[in-house]
Amino acid sequence: MKPYNWIRLLITGLVVMLMAGPAFSADDAANGEQAPGRTMAQQATKEKKVWVTVDHANVSALQKKFKSGPEVTQACLSCHSEAEKQFHKTIHWTWKAGATENGAVRGKAGHSLNNYCISANSWQDKGCLSCHPGWGNKTESVNCLVCHGQKDINWEEAFTDFTAFSESDDPEEKEIADEISGEIQAAVVAVSRPTRKNCGSCHFYGGGGDGVKHGDLDSSLAKPNKKLDVHMGADGQNFECTRCHTTTMHNIAGRVYTQPAYTDRKSLIEDDLASKITCESCHSAKPHKVGSKANDHTDKVACQSCHIPTFARVNPTKMSWDWAQSGKLKDGKPYKTKDEFGKHDYLSIKGQMKWAKDVKPEYAWFNGSIDSLTAKDTIDPSGVVKLSHAVGSPDDPNSRIYPFKVHRGNQPYDKINKTLLVPLLSGPKGYWNDMNWDRALRLGNKAVGVPFSGEFGFVKTTYVYPSTHMVAPKDNVVTCTECHIQKGSRLAEIAGVYMPGRDKFQLLDTVGWLAILGAFFGVCLHGLGRVFTSNGNGRKEG
Amino acid sequence: MKKIVLLLTVVAFIFTGLAPVFAGPDGNKRKGKYTYRKVYKACMARGEVSAPKPIVNPDAHTQAEWTQIFEQKSFDEFKCAPEWEALNDKQLLDIYTYLWSFAADSPTPAKCK
Repeated sequence: MKPYNWIRLLITGLVVMLMAGPAFSADDAANGEQAPGRTMAQQATKEKKVWVTVDHANVSALQKKFKSGPEVTQACLSCHSEAEKQFHKTIHWTWKAGATENGAVRGKAGHSLNNYCISANSWQDKGCLSCHPGWGNKTESVNCLVCHGQKDINWEEAFTDFTAFSESDDPEEKEIADEISGEIQAAVVAVSRPTRKNCGSCHFYGGGGDGVKHGDLDSSLAKPNKKLDVHMGADGQNFECTRCHTTTMHNIAGRVYTQPAYTDRKSLIEDDLASKITCESCHSAKPHKVGSKANDHTDKVACQSCHIPTFARVNPTKMSWDWAQSGKLKDGKPYKTKDEFGKHDYLSIKGQMKWAKDVKPEYAWFNGSIDSLTAKDTIDPSGVVKLSHAVGSPDDPNSRIYPFKVHRGNQPYDKINKTLLVPLLSGPKGYWNDMNWDRALRLGNKAVGVPFSGEFGFVKTTYVYPSTHMVAPKDNVVTCTECHIQKGSRLAEIAGVYMPGRDKFQLLDTVGWLAILGAFFGVCLHGLGRVFTSNGNGRKEG
Repeated sequence: MKKIVLLLTVVAFIFTGLAPVFAGPDGNKRKGKYTYRKVYKACMARGEVSAPKPIVNPDAHTQAEWTQIFEQKSFDEFKCAPEWEALNDKQLLDIYTYLWSFAADSPTPAKCK
């Protein structure tokens, strides 16, 4: 072959590659540019200097020897006069979230239940009150410092010890009393807007331990790096929880149970105090680079589905809890065992549990609302009872395919009334004291005012938590082939949508392949035609 | 009848005599907790430890183990030797009472918060 012909062949190949290239990598053309969604988010959240007009250390109302928690609250209210009234109306205080059609009250203080410790028994289970923002186990006066305090202090111990020492005649004890008083006062004046640590003191430990409940919320988020969460990473944006969970009159946005989280898809530019901030509020509905296929997914797939490949990436989370296995003894005594993570996987008083780390979520259509059963609802115990489930469908324009942690339980139910039961667990008459199911179930159901027939069995249940924290860096997102594949697709259970790669529709596949081959041959012929007919420059010679 | 009264008196004396053994050390546990914390505040100020929090929790040992540790005065585990040497017998008794009261096999095992 002459050198001239080699050059022609090379040029032809280049032409074909250049023309076919964009079909495989639309992003290549835009390399070096930033995705518009990221630019918008940076604009929406550009550094905002948070400034304050008061140093609480100089406030005269706080310059005293506090002897009790409620005294501290009164001091706060002497300036922030409306704060307690506002807070008393919020779900953080009432633990109630409205009534259902059958007269049940939603919320921890009502008839809601889960498949962890099951119920708070209308405040009767005092163990649950450690996360109620009052003083000690009392539900009268708000402890403002649960959310606003920035110093670690055991308030109950401090006040008890202060009282005991200050009443002593021993000069050494008087000295200790003064020290404790100083520590209390230092803690009272160290206040600010809520930090991750404040919110996390309850939300990271829901269910009685680190990472028990949510899977995407645990103590690893107190000081995360970008790899764990791009938004909260201390080496990145370093967002506090309140950056997204915006607050109006002490009502904190973001809850996704009875009220959908994103029926109003507002931009932060439109309203920085939107009641429910979503990914779209900052990143827009088309956040990826122009031409990126990912932009075509956003009307059906939630951002979280791709950007949270796994949850519980640092600490393990509890994935199942079988109450039916509780009550076993070793040498006549209750016992406990630990798993590979050092977590209890069996306790006589609680039953069998499974923990897992780096867990792939399960997916469901979700419109931002979760429906759940209460202790008053009847169930069908012949199958797995969906204690809570995502609301949504492929036909609903507000629904997206969304990732969830699904916690599986096996818990007591009433064989006659066909309702789930709510045992009283802590305290001298609770199940954890002597593992007496009958008494625990009677007392627990009595506390919430729901009848118990006396006959009980165990039923399998599921409880869902939407995954929205632990957003991974863009280099670590779910890849196309993890979903668009016939076997082992992450979205294998998602119905109502045709997914190339996962689903097979022969006619469509044939037409698609014909179109691809047609385009390929067309490009080749066109390129070859131009090279051979006009010497490659498109002009006639001479 | 006299024998019974005598027997009951003897039994009462025995139990009264043993009572302190069952009750544990008789220091001031509340004061002991703060003296224990003070040791580590001073130790941190000196630079041997990085936090003002005691490094051994009450529930790290059983009551019998705490008794042995304080009888033998073997405080190596606690570090901060200069601060421990500076404590007088009353302060040591208070700390011992605190640790013993919240030991692993006590009714309320505790960690230092």
